[in-house]
Amino acid sequence: MAVTVAELSMTYRVPVRDTGLVAAARALVRRQYRDVHAVHDISFQIAAGQVVGFLGRNGAGKTTTMKILAGILHPTSGRVRVLGEVPWRRHNHYLRKIALIRGSQPIGDAPELTVLDSFRYQQVLYDIAEPQFRRNLAELSALLDLDSILQRQVRALSLGERMRAGLALALVYRPEILFLDEPTIGLDISAAKVIRTFIAEYSAQTGATVLLTSHSMADVESLCPRLILVDDGAIAFDGRRDELSALFAPAKLIRVTVTDDSPDLAQYGDVLQRDGNQWLLRVLRDEVPAATARILSRYAVADLSVEEPSLEHVMNQAYQHLRSS
Amino acid sequence: MSRLLRLIRLEIWRQIIGWSGAWWFLVTLVIGQAVAPLLGLFVWLHVPSAGAQVGSYYLAVICVALVTASFENHTFAQAIYSGDVAAALLRPQPPVIGPLGENLAIRLWMLVLGLPLITLVGLTVGVHFAPLALLAALPALALAAVLRFLFVWTLAMAAFWTERVHAVVAFGGALIFLLGGSAAPNALLPDPLRTIAQLLPFRSMLGFPAELATGALTPADAAAGYAISVLWTAALGCCAVGAWRLGVRRYTTVGA
Repeated sequence: MAVTVAELSMTYRVPVRDTGLVAAARALVRRQYRDVHAVHDISFQIAAGQVVGFLGRNGAGKTTTMKILAGILHPTSGRVRVLGEVPWRRHNHYLRKIALIRGSQPIGDAPELTVLDSFRYQQVLYDIAEPQFRRNLAELSALLDLDSILQRQVRALSLGERMRAGLALALVYRPEILFLDEPTIGLDISAAKVIRTFIAEYSAQTGATVLLTSHSMADVESLCPRLILVDDGAIAFDGRRDELSALFAPAKLIRVTVTDDSPDLAQYGDVLQRDGNQWLLRVLRDEVPAATARILSRYAVADLSVEEPSLEHVMNQAYQHLRSS
Repeated sequence: MSRLLRLIRLEIWRQIIGWSGAWWFLVTLVIGQAVAPLLGLFVWLHVPSAGAQVGSYYLAVICVALVTASFENHTFAQAIYSGDVAAALLRPQPPVIGPLGENLAIRLWMLVLGLPLITLVGLTVGVHFAPLALLAALPALALAAVLRFLFVWTLAMAAFWTERVHAVVAFGGALIFLLGGSAAPNALLPDPLRTIAQLLPFRSMLGFPAELATGALTPADAAAGYAISVLWTAALGCCAVGAWRLGVRRYTTVGA
């Protein structure tokens, strides 16, 4: 297993006090604290080469878990092994095998440096031999279209260019595990697509394991066959995307076009949309086969398709369900 | 070892380039470091008992101040506040390389930008340094550079616990000004303040190399000064390592 997490918990002790001057004065001599359970007793495993979406609402515990796995945070309790190592010991041989990429801050280097300066720094930092470095740089430049920005200063790059450069800088030493924290945040559609395509290709080519947190369902849909949903620091779901849909969205969508004059399709499910002879029905999963059979037998059907609800809809349903429970 | 040196060299080079866009800010830092010794110079030049070498002494103090200046309360502490230190923790290199490289790069810039001021003061006051005295001061200057970095870096690590790190470092700066030889040369301090100042690390950070450069110390005093500098370097080195370990432990358990 590339990642093994067992009974992981992370509790922050935060100072609290009542409002007002008296309470503030009292807090000077007697501070009170409250425990915040950011992550509570979570366990999962990720096989080498898997691309996993780590999802949840704001404050669910995603980033805390990712920071523990990368080695930035030391958990309160639990057992974690990433590539066989305890991450928070931060041994150099471990750090050479991982990359944490944050969409909010893709490049941490001084803004006066050029992108190529930063690559050269990575070469020394990660002990990359010159031929290997040239080969990796050429490959990354081609895939991420970096040639035009290599000589430019980091401060002069657009957000999309920064993200491309940041991703390439993190991958030039060929890490075996990528921790991606909102890699497409703030990017336009085409820039985000470039990043997604590249991550998928990198994982497929190198067999790298990827753990992705993102609020962009386009990222998750295109990259992650497996999803781990966390809520209030605990795992609410761990499985395939279609299993998540089945769990939190018990209905499918039937999109049908009929040539009959006045068909009454409302009897087969909830009508979500009607545009002339085109209907969009929401039908419970168990009833989809019977409903489609009856529609096909009773009406002159020009077109019919059964669709899974969008991941965005499924996630929304999941969050609503978790909030209410 | 060679990798370590390459990493330090590369970090200095990166930071020199990184700071090249802020030369105007560096000029203000140069002025900030030179103001206190200049004030001391103007005051003590008019005190007859200060001796003929007081001009040379204060010029040497300005040079020492420029090449030992440390601003980890602005650089390293800011990295803690902004969360950038988390990225530094994940780099496969000793954590001191980042702050050390930035420190040395800023000092180089300050020395270059401070040369006109040094020349001007030297020509105005009329200074004299014996080559042998300058040679004797060089190891003390290196120790002063290490000491001041360790001192300010350790204080700046208070950022792991408090957001008021500037107050902590400013207090340290006041001690360097008062007891380090900027407000007054150590020899002109009244007893027992002079003895206390000789035993504390602040004179080793500023005044001691300047005293050696002006040839004002007997061999016995120079040897004692070197012994105190070495002892404080070892002590502050231990403090820095301890503060780093405690700070990182707090940072990684309380949250980034």
